[in-house]
Amino acid sequence: MRQFQTSTLEQRKTFDTDFETHPLEVAWASEAIFFVDVEQLDEGSGSLHLKVQISVDGVNWLDEGTIFEPIRGKERAFRRVSHFGGWLRLKGELLESGSLYKATIHLVIKE
Amino acid sequence: MLDYRLDKFQPLKHILCFDDFDNGLCGWTNLMPNYTLDNFGVRDSIVEKTQWGPIMLSSGTFRFSGTHGSMDGIYSLKLATRPVANPYQEPPAPGSISHAIKRLTMHRKPNRLQFEMWYAYTTEQDRSGLSENDIRAFGVSFDMQDAKARNFVGVRYVNSVNGELKKEWQVMQANDVSDNDWAYGTDGDWCKRGVDPMWYGRRYPDGRADGYQFVPDSRQELCYNESDDKINWLYLRLTYDLGERRYVELQSRDKVFDLGQFQPTDVPPYARIEGLLNPVIWIENDSDRRIFLFVDSVVISVD
Repeated sequence: MRQFQTSTLEQRKTFDTDFETHPLEVAWASEAIFFVDVEQLDEGSGSLHLKVQISVDGVNWLDEGTIFEPIRGKERAFRRVSHFGGWLRLKGELLESGSLYKATIHLVIKE
Repeated sequence: MLDYRLDKFQPLKHILCFDDFDNGLCGWTNLMPNYTLDNFGVRDSIVEKTQWGPIMLSSGTFRFSGTHGSMDGIYSLKLATRPVANPYQEPPAPGSISHAIKRLTMHRKPNRLQFEMWYAYTTEQDRSGLSENDIRAFGVSFDMQDAKARNFVGVRYVNSVNGELKKEWQVMQANDVSDNDWAYGTDGDWCKRGVDPMWYGRRYPDGRADGYQFVPDSRQELCYNESDDKINWLYLRLTYDLGERRYVELQSRDKVFDLGQFQPTDVPPYARIEGLLNPVIWIENDSDRRIFLFVDSVVISVD
């Protein structure tokens, strides 16, 4: 049987500045999917930008190249990643001040 | 043939679990509150329990040394806090604890019950220096219930209190306080005195806490090592007498502490959890950085 883990990295968490998700060790896995469930709480036009990052040690991070389409309003989305080494996280960026988003972010990993 | 992986434990007659995390998560999961209100809401509480740091399978990898691995393989169960902490005497900050739980029930007439694990702990090496003082406490316990009472039976190592090294063991036994006191002076919390001492029960700046008693003469060095990226595997054993409802002993490394003077706190049974037998492991942060507890393997046994 193949190993499998779904991890709730962030749960109904409110963000008003740039953020990074809880770093998850994924060395045993070969494929992953980030699922995001996002709700914009402010009335502005600032979007939420999410991108995948990898790391050699869980401390120093680099962009992996996978990005989400800019998110506005209420959205659910996912991105698949593979060949990621030992660690994965998402970096979230709010380009306009006053933006406020609530997000639940899952990482689903499989051997 | 001798199984060396089990030979490093001292199990009682019947082994309930032998969880080597080279084989996966083995049923250990994150602790979450009960999502039973409208829109899957949770009851209000002075302690925010939806944000504890998620657990994972770790390769024990660090920036300079590379992969540490586990005691006899690559993977260990890793409990990882978020980089937040409140002062010791306040309710733990959301995310300042990481907590793993396995959900079992009792299957034989109670006698003794034992929790053993090989583990290591360190801080995230995100800054220079040596960071032992940033780890507040870690521990193991059973959350259990029979027809008479719910009990939390456990121990924790109080490593650091507001940055000052303490390095003493405590055992779960609640002081004679009200449910209101237990919830840091709030009314109507889900929790009753004696339940969830991992985060309930007032704490005091000298390390005392309403959920715990100090084990006498229990100050102990645990081989944190000389750098945050060096981890050493440590042995822990907690034995409890279910029939007598009394602690037996704690073994940490090669030292055995008699716990015969301590008893867990009886709480009136909660609904729908009779027969509960949940082993739990947790670690609590003392500063604004992530800290980690690595568990190579666990044995739960009874006789």
